[in-house]
Amino acid sequence: MTKKKNKLLSDQRFIVLLVIAALIIIYMIFSPEFRQYSSILSMLDFSYYDVLMAIGVTFPLITAGVDLSIGTGMVCYALLAGSLIRNQHVPVGVAMLVCVLLGCIVGMVNGLLIAVMNLPPFLATLCTCMITRGIGSMSSAVPWPTTQQDGGWFHSIFKLTFGTGRSALKIPIGFILVVALVILMEFVLNHTKFGRYTIAIGSNKEAVILSGINVKFYHVMAYVICGLFAGLAAIAYAAVVPTVQPGTGAGLELDAIGGVFVGGVSATGGYGSVLGTLAGVFVIVLLKTGLPYVGLQANWQQIITGAVLIAAVLIDVIKRRRAAKAQ
Amino acid sequence: MKKKVLATVLSAAMAVSMMAGCGQKAAEPAAAPATEAAAPAAEPAPAPEPEPAPEPEPAATEEAAAEPAEEPAAAATEGEYTAGTPFSGITAKEAYKFPIDVKSFQSTYWQAALAGMDIAKAELGVDYDAHGPNSESDIADQVNMLNSDINSNPPGIGLAACDTSSVLDSLQTCADKGIPVVCFDTGVADAPEGSVVCTVATDNAQAGEVAADNMYAALADVIANAEGQVRIGEINQDATALNIQQRGLGFINEMIALIQADGKTVSVEGNEFYVNAAEGADSGDTDVVIEVQVPAQTTVELCSAQAQAILSKADTIGVFGSNQTAAEGLLAADANLSLLGSDPEAGDVIGVGFDAGSIIKGAVASGQMYGAVTQSPLMMGYYTLYALTAAANGDPVEDYPTDGYWYDASNIDDPTIAPNLYD
Amino acid sequence: MGECILKMEDIDKSFPGVHALDHVHFDVNKGEVHALMGENGAGKSTLMKVLTGIYTKDSGSINFEGREVEFHNTREAQDAGIVIVHQELNMVGDLTVAQNIFIGREFMKGFKIDDKKMIEESNRLFAELKIEIDPKAKMKDLTVGKQQMCEIAKAISHDAKLIIFDEPSAALTEKEIEDLFVIIRDLRAKNLGIVYISHRMDEIKVITDRVTVMRDGGYVGTLITKDCTKEDIINMMVGRVIYEEPKTKSQVAPDAPVVLKVEHLNAGRMVKDVSFELRKGEILGFSGLMGAGRTETARALFGADPKTSGDIYVNGEKVTINSPQDAVKYGIGYLSEDRKRYGIVVQKSITENSTLAALENYMSGIFINKSAEKKVTNQYIKELATKTPNADQLVVNLSGGNQQKVVIAKWLVRNCDILIFDEPTRGIDVGAKNEIYKLMNRLAAEGKSIIMISSEMTEILRMSDRIVIMCEGEKTGEIDIAEATQELIMDKATRNIE
Repeated sequence: MTKKKNKLLSDQRFIVLLVIAALIIIYMIFSPEFRQYSSILSMLDFSYYDVLMAIGVTFPLITAGVDLSIGTGMVCYALLAGSLIRNQHVPVGVAMLVCVLLGCIVGMVNGLLIAVMNLPPFLATLCTCMITRGIGSMSSAVPWPTTQQDGGWFHSIFKLTFGTGRSALKIPIGFILVVALVILMEFVLNHTKFGRYTIAIGSNKEAVILSGINVKFYHVMAYVICGLFAGLAAIAYAAVVPTVQPGTGAGLELDAIGGVFVGGVSATGGYGSVLGTLAGVFVIVLLKTGLPYVGLQANWQQIITGAVLIAAVLIDVIKRRRAAKAQ
Repeated sequence: MKKKVLATVLSAAMAVSMMAGCGQKAAEPAAAPATEAAAPAAEPAPAPEPEPAPEPEPAATEEAAAEPAEEPAAAATEGEYTAGTPFSGITAKEAYKFPIDVKSFQSTYWQAALAGMDIAKAELGVDYDAHGPNSESDIADQVNMLNSDINSNPPGIGLAACDTSSVLDSLQTCADKGIPVVCFDTGVADAPEGSVVCTVATDNAQAGEVAADNMYAALADVIANAEGQVRIGEINQDATALNIQQRGLGFINEMIALIQADGKTVSVEGNEFYVNAAEGADSGDTDVVIEVQVPAQTTVELCSAQAQAILSKADTIGVFGSNQTAAEGLLAADANLSLLGSDPEAGDVIGVGFDAGSIIKGAVASGQMYGAVTQSPLMMGYYTLYALTAAANGDPVEDYPTDGYWYDASNIDDPTIAPNLYD
Repeated sequence: MGECILKMEDIDKSFPGVHALDHVHFDVNKGEVHALMGENGAGKSTLMKVLTGIYTKDSGSINFEGREVEFHNTREAQDAGIVIVHQELNMVGDLTVAQNIFIGREFMKGFKIDDKKMIEESNRLFAELKIEIDPKAKMKDLTVGKQQMCEIAKAISHDAKLIIFDEPSAALTEKEIEDLFVIIRDLRAKNLGIVYISHRMDEIKVITDRVTVMRDGGYVGTLITKDCTKEDIINMMVGRVIYEEPKTKSQVAPDAPVVLKVEHLNAGRMVKDVSFELRKGEILGFSGLMGAGRTETARALFGADPKTSGDIYVNGEKVTINSPQDAVKYGIGYLSEDRKRYGIVVQKSITENSTLAALENYMSGIFINKSAEKKVTNQYIKELATKTPNADQLVVNLSGGNQQKVVIAKWLVRNCDILIFDEPTRGIDVGAKNEIYKLMNRLAAEGKSIIMISSEMTEILRMSDRIVIMCEGEKTGEIDIAEATQELIMDKATRNIE
């Protein structure tokens, strides 16, 4: 029993949940506005694309790689698909598919550069980050359809609205959706070949190669999955950001990557969990969207976010040292 | 010295343009039908119709009644917008080609500016070549583009600087080489002597005041009858860019003046820069609080988080988003609150935006956003090319402020407004 | 003894700087244990890597079960029935034992990996091997010996026709080796072909049927084990090379001062309360099984890994060493066993490598004094007889022995008086090996003090003045060379293993 208790306490995911609870309680004490349902709704609205990017980037990070192209990629896909809707009158459903497809293609390019051409992940994805940013800048600013317009139905993927005006009932079903995706990907990570080899590549790539596994394929797949989720994130992004602005998106990936690390993915690869990622990203989102409620000026928000990230990575390092000592 | 001159010019321009704003409203009903009727007959004009351009000319506004008669005639001749401006009668001595460095091609704002240049280009028989970095924050990229433009020794350069201090070295080079620079959209206050020949920019302080005037008009009764404190919010994308600073302070100072004129007290809180720069605010427990917030980064989602925090406060009666990003952040924040509206008596919060874009236009048309202030990128681009041509000819040129215009559901489709409202 | 299962003929393979395999012949029969012998760097592992598709041969033919084959990766070799139990452990530390054994051929239930069945199968395998390992344990939590057993279980779990054991006993205790031999005899009885690579002469005599000897990447000959003596095999392995005479007694003056004293050193789980002294002009051998904690001791001493406790005295003075920088300051140099990873920068020139640790002595202001740098490099190229056209040669183009000399030069340039050699001759050609030995003896005679970590018993016995033996992170013995024998060392090296 006590052993179980200790295990729970030493699980970073549990610690992160405590941090989330603490943040929410602090906010609620210091800001009556935060207690409103609409505040929770807004926080959730702006969390979906972060969570989706983070689910995806968990996989490259577990392989001891990284994907820096997801932020600019996400904006780029949203822009390209958005201009298809605006200029070519493509149905929103098709545009959404385009987002996912573009994400997979960029992910595949990243994967090929890294797994086949042996480029360092940081470098390869930095290049695609620049490229997607450049391509995104070619397009002009595009708003996806608003709730009232044709094709506005896609907003209901993330939020169901009944009625209009102030009394409208809004249900954040996007949360259920991302949680379902998190559970699905947690299963993929732990119970499928793809997930297992992702962990193995991060832990000891040489051994995986010698086991006769097509390492390149699985290594590429980790980036394709990452790209796919960046594509999904593009839809979530378009749903909350009124006008997707060209040339933006750089830096958004850092929120997601930061969240993954807070969620306990090992900074050196080989260990991680998607559930942890979900919790970790919510810490970042709470810091990003919640601190204004307690009246903290903007610069402090970033300082605090950085400090939390350091704390999270230190927990990982200290845990490892302890484990090494214990043996 | 230079600053003083600039300040004088600005304040003079301010006064003039305010008059223009008033005069214009009166002229509208008469002007619109007349131009509509005249347009098809007068010309097979290229899109962005030239004739409905706002009338910044002081001369024209003073004689508002005469305007409808004059305009159709003027539309047929080239250079009609220059009538009454310092640019009147300018022709190019050569077929100049000017490099134009814009802040980015991010928003259609800049495309509207280029459209204005296209009109001037056709009129003057000159050409231009526009460059811009991926985003307005890519300061170094823009400096590189500017430097390579300088190296090609052009007859003149049009510049909308992303960061006013970063271009100073390059401007010094221009001064040394004798290349005239026309700044548009954003002025460079400390430009080296002899580099910037003139600035064509929105009078941002005036534009901020226009927002305050209109918001106060809607809220005056609410403020007068309020029991307890009420709150007016302002979201500024940053506290560093000169144009946002001027706009933000223009709003704050005008609002303070208006509130105090009606015998109420007002204080400013939030972002330190704006709190310290505001003029004439009262302290202590005041009737009205102006809360100014600035996000950590210039992204819509962070603007939205700030707006959400202000909107959620029960005493908030109005919020001003001082550029497109801030205004869209305000709308995004309202997505879950549905507090914004046009009827303050019914408890609606009055939202005022800035610039355009289809989201803001849609919100203004539907009444969700009470109204917004638009700049005139089209005219800015137009006059920039004229100023450049004059400078290349060797003629003297002066700073030329363009106005910010109020638009709301009632005049959004007005032909004097619509061309400036980019998508 | 049955029909021929594998026949490799005229296999040739070159790497930059090394002719690794020079027209080698090798064949294995069904139901036979065939030993592949040779000194380190003789080409045994390379030959097996060519066979299993890790390397591609330059020329020659491989015939397996009567068919000409050429595998492109280990998977193809596995599918054909050839599996290798690697010398280096090739396990994924973050996965469990069962997941490691079945990696690449997981049992599936639709999309889901059937972990339950894999655990059952692992248990069945372990029962067959008569070993006890929890299939659900994480691989990184097992001892080196247990990990090796998992590697064997994994190899056996393939439907193998030919199994290659690449120095399987290097990390095993006597008891585990006995268990291993039981398994090998079992496999032989099932008519499998078995290749057994080892250094240990005793094991060869016990377990194998035939012996093929390689030397310097070349084929020397094949003998029937029971018809030959140890000496026959050794002569074939050593060939013409005349080694330094093994030491029969310590060469250190009895009154030589103690230059390094380590007391109660603890670091991680691999270094437990280690104390020893090193005297001026002494070569102190560190012996033990793989994973005994020798390298870890050296790294902790050198400040490369953090230590939990312990005192270090250099020339009688207590010093604090928290980083390699500190160690170098006190004149301690460390020559890693993994030269390519820790010792040298292969894509840089000899000059750049030589002065890497002492660059501050070759500066003029903020600039590197290239001529002084070159002068000292040339001096050491001459002194150490490094074979290279000039000092600008990239280190990657040198042979292993010459690379090692560059590393030695690096520390000599830094004026290090205490040198830690970790496996000084690993991956070095037999001929070059003796040069390194000579050099070490000369350095010792000149008053440098050397700690030599080595897994080769012959090397330990040949070079050391005194021998420290470690087992499972503890020091289990210290013997003067005059009393040292292979048996005594082995006994101490396996002392606290059950």
